[in-house]
Amino acid sequence: MELVRDVLDKQLIDREGTKMGRADGVVLEIRPDGPPRVDSLTLGFTVLASRLHPRFGDWFARVRARWSVRKSGRYRVPWSVVEEVRQHDIQLAVRALDTPAFDWERWLRRHVIEHLPGASK
Amino acid sequence: MKKAMTLALGILTSVGGFFDVGNIATTAQAGASFRFQLIWSLLLATLLVIFLVEMSGRFAAVSGKALPDAIREHFGFTFWLVPFAVLTLIHLLTLGAEIGGMCFALHLVTGIPVWVWAPVVAILTWLFLWRSTFSTIENSTSLLGLLTLAFVVAALLHHPPTGEVVAGMLPSLPHHDPEKYWFIAVSILGAVIAPYLFYFYSSGAVEDDWDPSYIAVNRGVALIGMGFGSVISLGAIVVAAMVLAPRGIEVSDYHQAALMLTDAFPFWGFALFAAAMGIACLGAALEVALSMAYTTAQTFGWNWGEDLNPREDARFCLVYTGAILLSALLIMFGVDPLKLTLLTMAINAAALPFVVIPFLLLMNDGKLLREHKNGWLSNAVILFIVILSFVLAVVSIPLAIRGGS
Amino acid sequence: MKARKVSLERLVGRLVRDPDGRRAGRILEVEAEIEGDDCLVREYRLGAAALLQRLGISAGRLVGLPFRHEPLRVPWDQLDLGDPERPRLRCTVEELRARQPR
Repeated sequence: MELVRDVLDKQLIDREGTKMGRADGVVLEIRPDGPPRVDSLTLGFTVLASRLHPRFGDWFARVRARWSVRKSGRYRVPWSVVEEVRQHDIQLAVRALDTPAFDWERWLRRHVIEHLPGASK
Repeated sequence: MKKAMTLALGILTSVGGFFDVGNIATTAQAGASFRFQLIWSLLLATLLVIFLVEMSGRFAAVSGKALPDAIREHFGFTFWLVPFAVLTLIHLLTLGAEIGGMCFALHLVTGIPVWVWAPVVAILTWLFLWRSTFSTIENSTSLLGLLTLAFVVAALLHHPPTGEVVAGMLPSLPHHDPEKYWFIAVSILGAVIAPYLFYFYSSGAVEDDWDPSYIAVNRGVALIGMGFGSVISLGAIVVAAMVLAPRGIEVSDYHQAALMLTDAFPFWGFALFAAAMGIACLGAALEVALSMAYTTAQTFGWNWGEDLNPREDARFCLVYTGAILLSALLIMFGVDPLKLTLLTMAINAAALPFVVIPFLLLMNDGKLLREHKNGWLSNAVILFIVILSFVLAVVSIPLAIRGGS
Repeated sequence: MKARKVSLERLVGRLVRDPDGRRAGRILEVEAEIEGDDCLVREYRLGAAALLQRLGISAGRLVGLPFRHEPLRVPWDQLDLGDPERPRLRCTVEELRARQPR
């Protein structure tokens, strides 16, 4: 398995089959005794901003801290939660709704969609 | 039966993507200023777009993925960012142009100013997206889109000189106003080979659950769907050549284009033009707004799908809502719809390299596409498109400044 | 050296030098293997430039060229990531080349 080709930027699927974001980042743990291990996957605009340039990441983190509904700009998915790395997505063992990945979805649902008529097709 | 219905996707993409406000503007100008001479530009654009749409559909059928999804996954976020930014700009400008087109159509039949209609049109478009499923949108716009056949009927009623029409199918040099000639030629290419068109098509194919068994049908849909749009556009050029050119009417305003159908249909010419324009622009607006939502949601990995209830893909809905809002504001603040359309066509042409190159690379990936990856012909065509797109990118903006005013 | 965390996306593209200061290449890929509950890194792959390499595969095949440079494979224990900004090989480039699998 190749981390850049098969894990980074891959679509993440929760245990109910809902898309819950992409692996915007991968954290490795460098250990003194033994090979490095994959610690976690990270999600969030802050992570993406850092990929362009570390300064963007810092700037974005500050903007986000003022305006966001999410508690932290970087959501961490521990490797233990990863069930399967498939060709087209990565299966996780959590439910998206229970995670910060869905902070904005939940917020929009409660504060906007519930108040608009005709939201079922 | 389901495969027959996929024709609806082809016709939707055609009515919305091919024959939209940009096409109406450019074909009317082409016919009015140069009669049948620019037909070759339309034919060239049609040929190229058929290949692009076929590739896009084949890709979605085999990989099960839409283009933005696949490009981010395959090439990474940093690489995808520039095409994504370019696509977003194009989406917003085009949406503004289409909304402007709808507003103009309504103004034509009521006399009420264009900018007043903007909020109405915005809400109507939004409601359509909010309440419908993807197949409802496909089928209804395709059905209503048949109204655009009015241009073909009118063209036939005018009995155009066949010799001249055929001669126009071959490239020729202009006898007057060369800058305007090439500007319109480039605009036709930009209007037809709209970047969002084949990106939308791939997402639409995923919405329709295409699998590798759809590959043959896809070829037919690409041909018939784009062919349909091309025939309508050809009709528009002919009508403009027969009605506007003899009277020396150059299309610098949509009001002049609106005269096109009044010769063939004396009573309802205006209303018919308005209806055809309104429907083409509605189809396009829905398609562009959806395309922007698909592209954004797929880029960031959000849930997406027009068949889902809004509460299941809130961020997806937020994107098309925001896009419609921003674009409608352009029209509300008095931006001239025709000028916006022509600017957008020029930018379309300039942006082609950014959005076609990732596509080209993807279509050659053996792992994703296995035996269905591009053969030499498709590669030759797409390479031609890449080269052409660089040429267009370089000339379109200067031409827009010099030939468009 | 205690355990430290490094983000993969910052690591990719970094220039790796050997103890003599010679350039070995940029980190293009990290190959890992699942062992039980963990995913462990097995080797790193170095090459010319990350994006160009990724694109090169597609573009090269497009015009029928074979893959030009084979990436250099570095077993996990030969790369010192004490300073993630400046990864260093623990052996020289020649030694590494000699050890490459056929």
